[in-house]
Amino acid sequence: MLSRYIKLYYLFCKQNFKVMLEYRMDFLLGVLSVMLQQFAGIFFVKIVFDHIHALNGWTFYEILFIYGIAATGRSIHHIFFDNLWTLGWQYIRPGKFDRLLIRPINPLFHFIADRLQQDGLGQLFIGIIVISTAMPHLGISWGIFELLLLVVMIIASGFIFVAINLFFATLSFWMVDSLPIVWTIFNLSDFARYPLTIYHKGIRHFLTWIVPYGFTAFYPAAYFIKGSGYERLALLTPVVAIVSCIVAYWFWNRGLKAFTSTGS
Amino acid sequence: MRKYFEFARVQMQVHAAYSAWFWANTFSILLRMLVIYFFWKAVYSSRTEIEGLPFDGMITYIIIAMFLQMFVSGVGQELAHTIKDGNVAIELMRPYNLITRLVAMDIGDKVIHFVRGALPLSILAFIFMDITLPTTWQGGLLFLLSAFMGIWIGTFFDLLIAILAFWTINLWGLQVMKEAVISFFSGALVPLILFPEWFQTISLFLPFQAMVYVPVAIYTGILSGTEVWLALGSQSFWAVSLFVLLRVLWSIAIKKVTIFGG
Repeated sequence: MLSRYIKLYYLFCKQNFKVMLEYRMDFLLGVLSVMLQQFAGIFFVKIVFDHIHALNGWTFYEILFIYGIAATGRSIHHIFFDNLWTLGWQYIRPGKFDRLLIRPINPLFHFIADRLQQDGLGQLFIGIIVISTAMPHLGISWGIFELLLLVVMIIASGFIFVAINLFFATLSFWMVDSLPIVWTIFNLSDFARYPLTIYHKGIRHFLTWIVPYGFTAFYPAAYFIKGSGYERLALLTPVVAIVSCIVAYWFWNRGLKAFTSTGS
Repeated sequence: MRKYFEFARVQMQVHAAYSAWFWANTFSILLRMLVIYFFWKAVYSSRTEIEGLPFDGMITYIIIAMFLQMFVSGVGQELAHTIKDGNVAIELMRPYNLITRLVAMDIGDKVIHFVRGALPLSILAFIFMDITLPTTWQGGLLFLLSAFMGIWIGTFFDLLIAILAFWTINLWGLQVMKEAVISFFSGALVPLILFPEWFQTISLFLPFQAMVYVPVAIYTGILSGTEVWLALGSQSFWAVSLFVLLRVLWSIAIKKVTIFGG
């Protein structure tokens, strides 16, 4: 069962790679554009820190580290799960989703595997560069355990992005296209690029317990920042990721049941 | 002229029909304003000024720049898609100038966005976020003039980039790259006076600072006296040259379409 899906995913990937190689210039353009976009954000932080020493007690490298975790986590979502954005307008509205339902594999798997988004690689590169730039300045010693935990945290962060997008994309089953909602919710992740401590308490709780974007960057990063005071909460990150995925998948299945095609 | 006016009017009606996107936009802008407010509040928590700008001056700059940036892009996406799916060939046969039609639609877009989005939201910002008015009424008038030119420059730059769709299929990448460059060099994120010297020098020679920085710097009084007139002069230069450049590139690109059409 599982090995069949792995083999299938490999075959899907191969097709996607062929498309990528066909349009080399566009591949470069996509990767470069995302790198530039991320770089603009980092440059902004750098400019601000040219004039101040600390932001509410957080140093430049700590902010950079948070930023890097957010970028790397989001890149997982961007590379492998980008198709979530298109559920409404590319699948349900033109009636293409029905095609997925008659195949003998899990429709969610098929839908996700339909696209590999190479543009996300730019984000991954930038994220890794930013994280490794910030790592030596955090005042902790990096052993194997810390590195492994960092990888786990980043993967968890990626899956929280995925779960949130999946949850709100699923609304498309009832309203044909929920893209405006998905997009608005996604914009909430802007909050997560800075330490949550700078925000009002209400915002902080909302981003921790309702739409858990706080766990995509700030909390996992805080684990590695000495004396941040969030080390315990940070360890919840993988748990939050798993719970979010379960909730989103449950919601997706409910959506599938309620789905009636747009076709006649 | 009349037909272009109709295009603008229809575009406004189209927007009124898609209320979901309207609310999504409004809500996203509100969120962004919140992030900006708390971020700068934290920046100013241990100081009273940065490069001579106090908190209310800074937040005024950032918020006005954010609103202005929403208007400096244009209908490049529309043009790019028309080129991509081949409809451009049909469009060219129709009894109007495609570029003029797109600009007319863009004006419709911008008017409705201003009335329904930017205006109420900026009133909210004035009430809740320590935003100040321009110090003098002359400053206010010059800001309006300068903002108009900034939007003009942004609109034509956007169309210019869209013509690249003749050569690439990654429209999304093109759009992201354009936006990154603009937010970089236009001063939409922070006033350019905070940037390192070398960066300020580079951006002096680019059209981007004319889109956002110049108008907002006039508004907040960062630019004053003769600097204002110099800046307005360079804006007019860019406004004219981008307009001409677009017309030239467009006529070259159209010839390419005819060749492909066979």
